[in-house]
Amino acid sequence: MGKTLKSTDTVELHTFMQDRKTLFCYSGPLTEDLLTTISNPVRHQLSDKETEEIVATRVFGVFIEQAQNIIRYSHHKTKATGDSIGTIAISLADDGFLIEAVNVVDPSKKDVLEATLVDLSLKDQKELRGLYKQRLRDGPPEDSRGAGLGFIEMARRVKKFEFDFVESEEGALFVYRGWVQ
Amino acid sequence: MNFEAGQRTPLVQLTPTSCLIRGECYPENISEWSEPVLTALEECLGNDESEFKVDIELYYFNSSSAKFLFDFFEFLEESAEGGKTITVNWRYRAEDDTMQEAGEDFEEDMSACTYNMVVAEEAE
Repeated sequence: MGKTLKSTDTVELHTFMQDRKTLFCYSGPLTEDLLTTISNPVRHQLSDKETEEIVATRVFGVFIEQAQNIIRYSHHKTKATGDSIGTIAISLADDGFLIEAVNVVDPSKKDVLEATLVDLSLKDQKELRGLYKQRLRDGPPEDSRGAGLGFIEMARRVKKFEFDFVESEEGALFVYRGWVQ
Repeated sequence: MNFEAGQRTPLVQLTPTSCLIRGECYPENISEWSEPVLTALEECLGNDESEFKVDIELYYFNSSSAKFLFDFFEFLEESAEGGKTITVNWRYRAEDDTMQEAGEDFEEDMSACTYNMVVAEEAE
């Protein structure tokens, strides 16, 4: 950190989160245990907003896939326990919700990830549905720790998604943003 | 045999002639949760009863759990091919396109089982 945070910095954080209409944000080590703990409040937040239950479930679904991606693939780990570090947030956006996730990407996996997501972004809903089924039948790709379905699942639930790789001191950050309506 | 619903796992009720799965499914560790369920299902299907009825009503499952459902249905299908009469009811809420599509996709691979898409009553 280096510098001392003033109370105005705290207010700035408050104002920043309020202005961008962020309902929930977590940044730090993420584990399945922690995900269990935060699942309930996240659900409550979503149902508080007079959102249709089906939409709330869709937002929650993207949130879970993103959180589990961080847990499985973040290249930035805590020294003591090896837990994955990342940031995940849900905000209100025009006519819906924005779900954001950031984590350090394994440099050796970056190209494959990029190619996978470019490929998914070019597919329509029908193709994504077919691909999901295909992947389910074929089983996970070799270096996947989940079923290799997470990104397809998210692409099916969002209205659109964007991704980027941004250089940082910790290494290349993988940024994923999905909009749900 | 019953597997109580958890915060991230559905209720599973198994009898010699039936299986009910209801709730949400996104366990911390899918294999840890699903292995005992599939083992119990195997025991139920291994008896001499001629008929077996399956009711599934899920509101949400994550991508890791999709593989469990795939294996679960494959298991039922094999048992039906072996001579057991199996009926599967995939229950979903009328407005829930996600669960409707999921049910339809699993249905595509089922031929020995009787598979019904059923619109569930609105839960209170």
